[in-house]
Amino acid sequence: MTTTTAPLLSVRGVVKRFPGVTALGGVDFDVRAGEVHCLLGQNGAGKSTLIKVLAGAHRPDEGEIRWQGEVVSFDNPTAAMSSGVAAIYQELDLVAGLSVADNVFLGHELSKAGFTRRAEAHRRTKALLDRLGHPDIPPDRDVGRLSAANQQIVSMARALSRDGRLLIMDEPSAVLDQDEVRTLFRVIRELTAQGVAIVYISHRMEEIREIGDRVTVLKDGRTVATGLPARETRTADLIRLMTGRDVEYAFPPRDPVDPAAPEVLVVRGLAAGERFSGVDFTVRAGEVVGLAGLVGSGRSEILEAVYGARRTTAGTVEVDGKRLRRGNVGAAVRAGVGLCPEERKSQGLLLDQAVYRNITVSTLSAFSRFGFLDNGAERARSQELTTALDVRPPGVDRAVRTLSGGNQQKVVLARWLLRECRVLLLDEPTRGVDVGARSEIYELIRDLSVRGVAVVVVSSEVEEVLGLADRVLVVREGRVVHEGPAREIDESRVLDLVMEGTAA
Amino acid sequence: MSENTTAVRPPTAEQPQRGVSALLGSAAGRNTGLVVALVLLCVVGVITAGDRFADVDNVLTILRLAAVIGVVSVGMTFVITGGGIDLSVGAIVALSSVWATTLATQAMANDAHWLVIVFAALAVGAGCGVINGVLIAYGRIVAFIATLAMLAAARGLAEIISNRKTQIVNVPGFTAFFDASVLGVPVLVVIFALVAVVGWVVLNRTTFGRRTFAVGGNPEAARLAGIDVRRHTVLLYTLLGVCCGIAAVMLVARTTTGSSTHGGLYELDAIAAVVIGGTLLSGGRGTIAGTVFGVLIFTTLSNVFTLNNLSISAQAVAKGAIIVVAVLLQQRLARRSGA
Amino acid sequence: MSRKATTRLVAALSVGLVLTACTGNTPEPAAGTGNQGGARVANDEPGEKVVIGFSAPAADHGWMAAITNAAKAEAEKYSDVELKVVEGTNDVNLQISQVETFINDKVDAIVLLPFDGAALTPVALKAMKAGITVINVDREFGSPFAARSTVLGDNYGMGVSAGTYVCDQLKGKSDAVVAEIAGIDSLPLTQDRSKGFADALGDCGLKVNNRVAAEFTVESGERAAANLLQAAPRIDALWNHDDDQGVGVTAAIKNSGRSEFFMVGGAGSANVMREIKAGNGLHKATVVYPSTQGADGIRLARLAVQGKSLGDLVEVEVPRQVELFAPVVTKDNVDRYLPTAFES
Repeated sequence: MTTTTAPLLSVRGVVKRFPGVTALGGVDFDVRAGEVHCLLGQNGAGKSTLIKVLAGAHRPDEGEIRWQGEVVSFDNPTAAMSSGVAAIYQELDLVAGLSVADNVFLGHELSKAGFTRRAEAHRRTKALLDRLGHPDIPPDRDVGRLSAANQQIVSMARALSRDGRLLIMDEPSAVLDQDEVRTLFRVIRELTAQGVAIVYISHRMEEIREIGDRVTVLKDGRTVATGLPARETRTADLIRLMTGRDVEYAFPPRDPVDPAAPEVLVVRGLAAGERFSGVDFTVRAGEVVGLAGLVGSGRSEILEAVYGARRTTAGTVEVDGKRLRRGNVGAAVRAGVGLCPEERKSQGLLLDQAVYRNITVSTLSAFSRFGFLDNGAERARSQELTTALDVRPPGVDRAVRTLSGGNQQKVVLARWLLRECRVLLLDEPTRGVDVGARSEIYELIRDLSVRGVAVVVVSSEVEEVLGLADRVLVVREGRVVHEGPAREIDESRVLDLVMEGTAA
Repeated sequence: MSENTTAVRPPTAEQPQRGVSALLGSAAGRNTGLVVALVLLCVVGVITAGDRFADVDNVLTILRLAAVIGVVSVGMTFVITGGGIDLSVGAIVALSSVWATTLATQAMANDAHWLVIVFAALAVGAGCGVINGVLIAYGRIVAFIATLAMLAAARGLAEIISNRKTQIVNVPGFTAFFDASVLGVPVLVVIFALVAVVGWVVLNRTTFGRRTFAVGGNPEAARLAGIDVRRHTVLLYTLLGVCCGIAAVMLVARTTTGSSTHGGLYELDAIAAVVIGGTLLSGGRGTIAGTVFGVLIFTTLSNVFTLNNLSISAQAVAKGAIIVVAVLLQQRLARRSGA
Repeated sequence: MSRKATTRLVAALSVGLVLTACTGNTPEPAAGTGNQGGARVANDEPGEKVVIGFSAPAADHGWMAAITNAAKAEAEKYSDVELKVVEGTNDVNLQISQVETFINDKVDAIVLLPFDGAALTPVALKAMKAGITVINVDREFGSPFAARSTVLGDNYGMGVSAGTYVCDQLKGKSDAVVAEIAGIDSLPLTQDRSKGFADALGDCGLKVNNRVAAEFTVESGERAAANLLQAAPRIDALWNHDDDQGVGVTAAIKNSGRSEFFMVGGAGSANVMREIKAGNGLHKATVVYPSTQGADGIRLARLAVQGKSLGDLVEVEVPRQVELFAPVVTKDNVDRYLPTAFES
């Protein structure tokens, strides 16, 4: 891609400060028409702020943005959109309850004399969806009833409805399964062929290789490299640029599980209506069991059911030989089970509350006498844990919201470390976690299992399941279709098992 | 508070956020703002009404007025911090006051002990709270709707029991106890102070309080952390119900009557005081000290207006303005801490 | 028994006092609602300065608004009265606090129309103990020691007046249909009014054939009247307890196109009196429930503090209780009442 076209968008020396923080300290990069430009950076590197600056949600304090050669200043997202720049955020900003067409034309409704032109809006929405390769989405369907993938398509249709020339996509693959990612990539290729430029943000190196043209790396709010060829640049180099140090993107080595170790978690005949049934497995002390499967295969539901957070219709869960009360999280926690949920922010954390409060929330009785809490002890123990886990920035009194994804995940893990739990259930432990922190979390999981904790890991990334687990269970359509040692199976075989029967 | 009352600190490198924004940003700073507001109001009071305002008797008048609604507001702080809302507090106060002053209850009180009246009011308040809590937590009815239903039902029941007549208390021990003063401070004010102190300790120093923050901040995360969110929700509404019962006892003592018209619109006064105190309506953040200041600000405002013969309508406008300013300030602070 | 008798006597006398004041005056009042009632007597000579505190419920009804306005206007007339008016409230807790503020201010007298008589009794007792003259208006305290004097309207008398007027108008028609639209039915005052009405009708062999209750509001009056008109295909006379809700009642009657009956109002709003005067509506009369009670309270307070008595009484002190008369206002005498009527 060494075309000589003038850049569509050119960013020079952009600085954005918030009270007490400089979020962007000088960002430079160009985006050409028809390219997929990848933005890489650890969480907290300033990617989200940059997107907001480009999309007109924030105004830069310094620097200039040129759009088709002209210096521009987008005062608000509407101004950016009418120029042809649109952002598709991770948390999709669609209005559930409104139809697809209503969402596409939200804010610039087609109207005549104050009356909305419904038929015209439907017709144009249909055309946009066709262009995006999704004629299957009905324009009058309630957006809240669409899948995450289709919602993303609607967001893209909305951007294109304003004659979008540049789409900014913030981790679009995070909510999609492999199949949907493939569809997304096809749509992206079609759009770029039509001259639309894409700014693509992702943590997943393999996606960048597949879809990206050029890469810009951000670190601590600055551009550390820009215009790197996406396919040729070595992963190790990219990681070094992002983290500023050499990181082996590798799973920690492990010893075989002691076959005499006691079975800590025993699941027998677990079923929950239509979602899954006949699930049997055991986890020994010190063992890591991985659950592989597609989104919707029932893997997360199984985890939740073991934890008592989901009603079951049959089966039993035993911890250390004692049967847990059905559908009762409290009983599971008391028996020593811990869960790091899939949606960390909405299910795992009290975002606006201090780090220490998030860590001690499941262990309050240990810090209290007659119901009165010992605040000092809480802070001290939390401080020990965050130091041990290298949570950055340090300090247990800051709100969890201010931490990056990886550090937030460490806080959730610290909660269960503090509880000294016997069984740890991890759902997508590295989602939204950048490369540097990823390795640390892998190390941590390994440490826990070495200390005798029984661990169950669910992940969409087969590589992660195989790398972490001693034993692998493959879940498809609510049933365990394979169980065996992780070292005896490879990635493609797991993928086959996962997809079998679904790839029609 | 202590953070702000220390003498001038030398600027340090770790303190990039100096000045007003840092002051307002801290929880302590939030209360400082309320203290400033209250002091300003007092200054206005002294300027416009002079010694009539600064008089000890007048201060006690303000505190007595604050006491009843203050107790309700402390309870309301718990429910709102826990992510709920209760519109039925005024009606519960009315029902408790009526139930505690029926002829039957009074006869029992005269035969046994005047505490019968107190227990009757507390029990009715707690009962209403339990019903609210169970409907919301286990019946999965939105708090707004469930307590709206309670609002209508409790006041209706109060009217049925009292036949819309005012019930006069003729239990000498009861009135004598609540009419008394402790070291010059009326018993009603002492009760308010006790409730506020106990409320502060429970919210900030106990597992119950911590769980309240967790349940209000993110109920799903709290559930998955092993907290029994539903049981806790019931406890929160019950606690508020008990506070309504206490307020009813205080109102019965102050008026020597129980009536189905007692506690009119207390829900709005209480919610207003809680919100300007700095408790988030969306839950997860709450402050008892702020609530107490909120109540004092509103009652002092009312007193200054009364002293100056100004109209309640103008007072309502001022009250509205204070609420809007408080919420705007709160949003700005939230945005800053979230950025 | 004997107390009741004295009360009646006092009431008759005090009303007589008002009447004498009005007789012979030119009927046309100045624009607006200036309160022209009240006698000018030797008592009006300025005396020692009297500070009076005044508190009443929220002005959510035309009558209640008129109470405060009349009291203010009355105080304006006296150079020796300083009136402190706090705004009306329906929260007894706040009204108690208002009275406490008066006590702190060491006012000479408090004129109090309590939201709830019983609930305000303790603080009124406290005021009396502090040496303040308390004048109780309209809603009675629970204790006789809580007020120096009490000014009351006569609800039973209202019913009697209305019933007597209806009897006079329907003389000889023994099969006449009489209807009644009451106020809030569970209130004792409504029950008193209805009882008086029924008793008076009984004296002339009539009875209430159709009765509905509203809630003192325009909207409820409209609803109640619409129901009543459905239920009674023919009506000869209709008594409506309250002229504020009467606005709604009139609207419902207009909608139905009925006009075979005449109507008697209640409480005595200026609206209805103007209609009576013009003679162009169904209202032929209304029964006054004086909205000048607060104003009378101001006068009594001033006299009591200054140690004067009511001018036309031999009695040296201000009486304990004044029960006001409930006169029937018709086209013949409307000019006398219109100046003191309240605007809905």
